[in-house]
Amino acid sequence: MNVVTTKNLSKEYSAKSFSKEKILALSNFSFEVQSGEIFGLLGPNGAGKTTLIKILLGITFPTSGDIKIFDKDISNQSYKKKVGYLPESHKFPNYLTGEQVLHFFGKLSGLSSNDVKKKSDEYLKLVDMEKWRKTKIKKYSKGMLQRLGLAQAMLNQPELIFLDEPTDGVDPIGRKEIRDILNNLKQQGTTIFLNSHLLSEVELICDRVAILNKGVLIKSGRVDDITATSDNYIFTTTDLDESVINKLLVSFKCTIKSKNEFYFNSDSVEELNKLIDFIRQNNIMIQGIAREKNTLEDMFINLIGSKN
Amino acid sequence: MIFLTLLFSTFREAIAKKIFIGFFAIATLIILVFLFLINVDSIEGMVNMMESSGEEGVRQLVIQFEVAMINISYLLVITFCFISVSSFIPSMLEKGNIDLLLSKPVTRAQIILAKFLGGVLLIFLSLLYLIGFVWLILSSKSGFWHVPFLYSILWLTLSFAVIYSLIIFIGLISQSSILSIILSLFLVFIVCPVLYFREETIFSLVSNNVVQFIINFFYYILPKPTDINQITTDIITGNPVKSYMPVFSSVLFMLAALSASIFYFKKKDY
Ligand SMILES: Nc1ncnc2c1ncn2[C@@H]1O[C@H](COP(=O)(O)OP(=O)(O)OP(=O)(O)O)[C@@H](O)[C@H]1O
Ligand SMILES: [Mg+2]
Repeated sequence: MNVVTTKNLSKEYSAKSFSKEKILALSNFSFEVQSGEIFGLLGPNGAGKTTLIKILLGITFPTSGDIKIFDKDISNQSYKKKVGYLPESHKFPNYLTGEQVLHFFGKLSGLSSNDVKKKSDEYLKLVDMEKWRKTKIKKYSKGMLQRLGLAQAMLNQPELIFLDEPTDGVDPIGRKEIRDILNNLKQQGTTIFLNSHLLSEVELICDRVAILNKGVLIKSGRVDDITATSDNYIFTTTDLDESVINKLLVSFKCTIKSKNEFYFNSDSVEELNKLIDFIRQNNIMIQGIAREKNTLEDMFINLIGSKN
Repeated sequence: MIFLTLLFSTFREAIAKKIFIGFFAIATLIILVFLFLINVDSIEGMVNMMESSGEEGVRQLVIQFEVAMINISYLLVITFCFISVSSFIPSMLEKGNIDLLLSKPVTRAQIILAKFLGGVLLIFLSLLYLIGFVWLILSSKSGFWHVPFLYSILWLTLSFAVIYSLIIFIGLISQSSILSIILSLFLVFIVCPVLYFREETIFSLVSNNVVQFIINFFYYILPKPTDINQITTDIITGNPVKSYMPVFSSVLFMLAALSASIFYFKKKDY
């Protein structure tokens, strides 16, 4: 089942007030987020990631296109009770304490005072902010604010949670903790939509990703599929002699890295096995064959770099 | 429930910004000064007057005090309250705050109405404190329990509400609290008094019909806190109120400003 579906979503901002010049922040964007998955939206600065989340939450209005969340139109506010949101660079009223922030936004999400209390205890513990609960948030560090923001986003036990750069400003240990929290949420069946620049992190937790550049969707799919499309095989062997190297270069178009290592590129399994037979016939031992994995980052830089 | 949470948050913001502490400090000071004056008077002036002109003299004195009090409150309320509430909307609209607010299951109309009612309730309570106490002191000292003075709490709250609706509208459009303060104070202390006394001031200088028509036009569409203040004074002193038109037209203005605010807010991208 799809939790979020958009069709041909476009958003134009006017560049300056009272000017006819337009910025196309999103252009004909169609995608869906499936129930229970962690979906990552990637893209360089200004790609339109935040704009998309804001449109999905009714904070900004699309210029054209259709949106369905939980299979319903978003003109009805009620879906927001089942949604959590961590805005990018959020700014809570700074005269409140951590606890009061959760209380205020929890109540606004429609929770009862009792539930807010119970859940605040639970989530403050989860994000490791218990000892700061009575401190005014103007005294919080950036990472602490981010943790509180995350607790706030989870407080109403949403079925769908939008996180705009959730690990922004959080230290490496905190990031690992946040990843664990998100994986836990997923286990409980929560659908997670996150925006991020941190590709290595996205690779670790997302099931599917979409890559956005200048408002246009340039690639989407399962993380495994996107990162494993390489046909490059890395061979490590015992020492290669001159004649074998020549043959590898000429007949198999390999790239020789050293006496013990070469790359072979082909999408044909037959060719791959021919190569292995040839090496074995020459009494060379194969110590390892690895299919090269593209990291998300390689792919991202290739895609975005070539567009610019 | 959600609406009450929003309403309450307006209160908390006002308290956190400490401007209302200033208001209460000044109000308390005024109350103390009153207490002091009354005590002095009761020893010399009031006692003498009571003896010379009886109960009627005390009544007149109390009413004079009350009228002075209304004028002080008017100045105080207008200045202090406008400064404190003028930042409500711009601070709410800050990036990172408004996003989160709008992601909650509240309608945009509810948000505006909560800000409006929260502010109005706050001013009402402040006035209740200031005028209520002064009334208690005056009444208990003089033995003259003059209820019409208490009505002024409502009249002053109304004046505030009318201008506050404009502050909300300006705040939404400009996202600037300074602009809201300047424009509203300009309106209340310059435009409205001039329009109220237009016959004595502008019309005595300009006799052109078109100009007079335009000035009259502005007088009728703009809010009329000066007129409402006059009505309040008339009610306290027992003079007949000439016309309640200023009240109705101000209320209309308020409703129009609120509707325009909601309409604008509903369409706006954040
Ligand atoms: N309120 C606005 N008015 C005008 N233009 C806007 C507005 N908000 C965003 N934009 C423009 O829309 C484009 C997309 O912005 P958006 O914030 O969605 O980018 P992003 O992908 O979230 O970037 P980042 O990674 O830096 O957070 C940018 O060109 C930005 O200048
Ligand atoms: Mg962004």
